[in-house]
Amino acid sequence: MASAIYSAEVPSLVTDPGTNRAVPTENATESQRAPRPKKPNYGQIHSRPLPLETYPLPAFIPHNPLSIFRIVYVVFSQLFRPPSSHPSVCYKGYFSHETQSVHVTDCKTIRALWEKGFFGKGNLSRSEPRWLDQEMRKRGLLAQETSEEVTRKRREERRRFKIERARKEREAIEQQLREEGKISHPAPIDETETLDNAQPQEIRQQLSNGNINDRIEENGRIKYGRTPALPEKTPIKTTQPLKLDTRHSVEAAGIELDEEHLQLNPEEVLFLAYGLGVLEVSDQGIPIPTSSLFKLFCRHSSCQSPETQSIQPDDSFLLKYVVYHHFRSLGWVVRPGVKFAVDYLLYNKGPVFSHAEFAVMIIPSYNHTYWSESLERKVKIQQKEKRDWWWLHRINRVQTQVHKSLVLVYVEIPPPLHDDGAISELDVGNILKRYNVREFALRRWVANRNRD
Amino acid sequence: MADKDEDTPQLSGVNAGDIDLSDETQDFRFLSNLSFSGTDLPKIPKRGEKDFEPHATSLQSSTLAASRAAMHSALSIPRIHPPKTHIMATYDPDTNMAYVDKIKSQHFQTIGKFFQGKEWLLPEEALFMLERGSLDVRWPVLRTADEDENDSNSLGVPMSLQGAYAAFIGMECGVGGKLTLEMYNVYAGLKRAGYVVLRSGSWNNERGALDFTNLAKLDAREATNKFWNFRIFAEIWEMLLTRKSDGGAERLALGPLITPGLYRTYDDIYRLLQIIPNHNRRSPPTFSLPADSSNPFHVTYHIYKPTGKFRKSAPGPPDYRVAVVNARETSVPTMAQLSDLLATTPYDPPSASSQLYQRLKHGSRNIILAIVDQGIPSYIRVADASFSDEKLYERQARGSRGKRGGFGRGRGRGRGRGR
Repeated sequence: MASAIYSAEVPSLVTDPGTNRAVPTENATESQRAPRPKKPNYGQIHSRPLPLETYPLPAFIPHNPLSIFRIVYVVFSQLFRPPSSHPSVCYKGYFSHETQSVHVTDCKTIRALWEKGFFGKGNLSRSEPRWLDQEMRKRGLLAQETSEEVTRKRREERRRFKIERARKEREAIEQQLREEGKISHPAPIDETETLDNAQPQEIRQQLSNGNINDRIEENGRIKYGRTPALPEKTPIKTTQPLKLDTRHSVEAAGIELDEEHLQLNPEEVLFLAYGLGVLEVSDQGIPIPTSSLFKLFCRHSSCQSPETQSIQPDDSFLLKYVVYHHFRSLGWVVRPGVKFAVDYLLYNKGPVFSHAEFAVMIIPSYNHTYWSESLERKVKIQQKEKRDWWWLHRINRVQTQVHKSLVLVYVEIPPPLHDDGAISELDVGNILKRYNVREFALRRWVANRNRD
Repeated sequence: MADKDEDTPQLSGVNAGDIDLSDETQDFRFLSNLSFSGTDLPKIPKRGEKDFEPHATSLQSSTLAASRAAMHSALSIPRIHPPKTHIMATYDPDTNMAYVDKIKSQHFQTIGKFFQGKEWLLPEEALFMLERGSLDVRWPVLRTADEDENDSNSLGVPMSLQGAYAAFIGMECGVGGKLTLEMYNVYAGLKRAGYVVLRSGSWNNERGALDFTNLAKLDAREATNKFWNFRIFAEIWEMLLTRKSDGGAERLALGPLITPGLYRTYDDIYRLLQIIPNHNRRSPPTFSLPADSSNPFHVTYHIYKPTGKFRKSAPGPPDYRVAVVNARETSVPTMAQLSDLLATTPYDPPSASSQLYQRLKHGSRNIILAIVDQGIPSYIRVADASFSDEKLYERQARGSRGKRGGFGRGRGRGRGRGR
């Protein structure tokens, strides 16, 4: 999130000095601009691509013969007491029937899953769980601007720029009309529009201040739930950005608990549980084994009655998991892509480092002879396979606009394992191995730009 | 990087980030100003930037009038066949083609085919030349046996543009091969853009042959690499150090794929995770669908960039291959259709020096689909992207030695690229 946001910071247009209380020099003249807050060392924080540890051997240095002894020592010591790559205690999650996701509430687990592999999403944030940081910032406990604030500022600035541009255009037209003698007197500029637009902005600013709660409730539009109205506080200057270990100051500020939890979607859960074996999911206190977890997610993926035990070979969860696992096993960070009208986004290393380059759309493919055996089946499959070109153009347009390239991932659907059209015996690996994945990269081709 | 070549000038500059405004909660109060009652039309609220908005200045209307007048004066110039470059062609109803007796123009460097003493033009070539006013096509005249063939009086009636469209387009069973309106749209568009466009393969053929080009070369190169590379040491080292998967079947059945234990590198972990089978892009291509007309996807045109080196007799491999499809009659191709289509294109791997993203987008085989929707073609390049050949984790293991990871700084992308 951060690279684009921080780079877009322009300090000349400070909207409201109140929002910048913690960085008091920012609204001063440009000459004494506050230094840009230091970005956390993401390379170090997210150095592990998966929530597993590795124990590489020390490097062999040819001109230092002692390095051989070091390697031998490490090999032998690990032979007698091998360290485990897995965490000593399995991460715990709770299945929630209402949201059909798995909740993780333990702070350390949340951080671990986010930092090592970017799993899950904070239920009160856009992706990384940042609710606590935002709350602390509102109470003046956090000196560093949160990325949400920077985004808000940037948007505000853009909005003002647009209003200003529209005003200039209008003035130019009026000037022209006056020169042509079509209007006699300088007409007053239509103030109502700008005022009307400015109103929600005001509210938004108050929101970002976080200490004018009553006025917002008066407005009736936004209820700002449990947060107690706090008296104005002098900002506590901290040299470091506050992290979760500074419990005392959190409590002092009146935030009893981190109310945010991490939501893992079914594919992530199965990957963590079946693939890596680091997550244990329980439902009302009873741990769910992997095979049941698999069945559970398949059952929830379609609108069928949950009693049916059969899993269709083209079950939507199954397809999504096959593709998720495929790209994860190649080293990509896979995140849901619903925001861009696709199934997944592929990040190289992770969202804090760079934008996603690829947007993945899953298309089932019924190439096996089983699917064309009977006429009835054939007609059904044709219906399922039919996607009109406008559908593809729409998706491709969205991806072009956000500078991503669309990847169509065709998943070859195998015939059902048994004749009754259902997978009855559960062997997860065997099921997954029957699918075949093939990727096609799409992009618009413009004749005029490819000639030379 | 993805699409620098897009026709979206508004993306540059300050309003580049308009897209993520949608994240904000919408404020619909502007709707309350609308009046839906009464006889007067409701005023549509103004949102966003408009390219053109009429306002009452006479400056605007005079600019518009001047522009319109310029267009009309350009169109009003009579277009004639100057006698020096007047090319006559005769329509041949049997083949649905036209033939030219005497070639006089540069156009024939890239169109036409010499056969039995005449220069024959494909229907799209004749139609395109006629439409741009460079060719005078005559309807054939029925001649009696005693008439002289070269009599100048025996010239037929000139073919009108409407007549040409009616004559040349269609005729599926004709010898000259069918020309659909979609094919002509694409042909004319690419010709006007300056490309050299040739019909691919033989004219009757619905589907090209499998293309094994470059595959054999690839195999040979890999074999020599393996022999000379001292890979044997690397393999011994790998054998000693990499973790073998233990308890295969049970591990796969119920997981976890990564059994608890000691792992030296993430490469080992990722290798153990790889269980989903993948298409092998280096294997020789095969067809999976029957060769009949039920599959509308086949390479229609070969196009060449206008370099000046083009020779009709030896065109060489084309720069792009285009498959023309009708947007209203076909749907997005299934994997089998796409796979068969790409099997007729050569193996064209990305250059070894290019970047990861470029390599993935380039793919191992590629085709351009021209999807024509009621006369409007949109082109999409489809590439067989080899994600499983470019193992990202291997790159990351090499790249992340540095303290800072190396990624993510200073990609001067501007703002507003959605995450």
